[in-house]
Amino acid sequence: MRHGMTTARGLCGSAVVAVALVFGSSRIAAAQHETLLVSGSPAPMRVQTAVAGSVLVPVVDNSTTYTYTSQGDGNRKKITAQLNAPMPDGVTLQATFDSPDRASSIPDVVLDATARDVVTDLPFTHGSAVTMGITYTLTATPAAGIVPAQSRTVTLTIIRAP
Amino acid sequence: MKATRILAAVAALSFIGAASAFAQTATQTVTFQVDAINQITVSGSPSLLINAAVAGNAPTSVTTTGATWAITTNQSNAKVTASIASAMPTGLTLSATLAAPAGATSTGAKALGTSGVDLVTGITKLNASGLGLTYSLDATAAAGVVSSASRVVTFTITGGV
Repeated sequence: MRHGMTTARGLCGSAVVAVALVFGSSRIAAAQHETLLVSGSPAPMRVQTAVAGSVLVPVVDNSTTYTYTSQGDGNRKKITAQLNAPMPDGVTLQATFDSPDRASSIPDVVLDATARDVVTDLPFTHGSAVTMGITYTLTATPAAGIVPAQSRTVTLTIIRAP
Repeated sequence: MKATRILAAVAALSFIGAASAFAQTATQTVTFQVDAINQITVSGSPSLLINAAVAGNAPTSVTTTGATWAITTNQSNAKVTASIASAMPTGLTLSATLAAPAGATSTGAKALGTSGVDLVTGITKLNASGLGLTYSLDATAAAGVVSSASRVVTFTITGGV
């Protein structure tokens, strides 16, 4: 019985410690919590005309947005963008992510299979959602020829800025 | 004791979760395509007047200068043809010459008729502008006096793959 009580107290004490750890961990998670959402995917982009003597007319899509929140952990953040596969030869996909105040947007970033910075110095939002626009520009050279419809996945990542 | 270990494990997992929550991702799908594109344009509306001859020869031909043409195509082995909507008066010949862009071949001066004639062949995936365009008008003595008339010349890119 005594042994049992001791065990119960010990278990209770251990549980308290463990719960405290979990709680503490949750606070850390909340303090570091970042969210990055997009409004959807852009409409299909189709290059279909040119001015004679010039390159093909680019296609622009600015129909989508991204929304991020930052609880703040003392570190500024940045957003990178990366394709799951390179674009075909002669075809270029560029992206411009509008930036909130105090952040820096890198305009017309040429996207490829390497993560590229698109927004840097993202400030804390203290939990408030900040929504900004995304502009994609598709260009093609005549040498690209006819390119059948295909897709690329753009992965956006919000990470701690070095 | 077992419960303690479980709770401790939960705590440890929570820490790991907090650390891994550091990079958040979102994805978009970008769908794209490039259609077959062929664009050609010409500059200028030249005027040609034959009003002289060397005695003993046919009336002296005249040639325009300064006109240009431009092209953009993303197809291979295209060609440019030209035609006029209605035939020239008897004894008059309107010819056109297009300078070829890089990698293509000009067929030289070709008389224009209501059927298309090739002026440049072998055009592949390029854009070029400021290319020379020359018209020449020839007349035989038998053509007589021909009052001012016009013809619309239509240039067409065809044959690309």
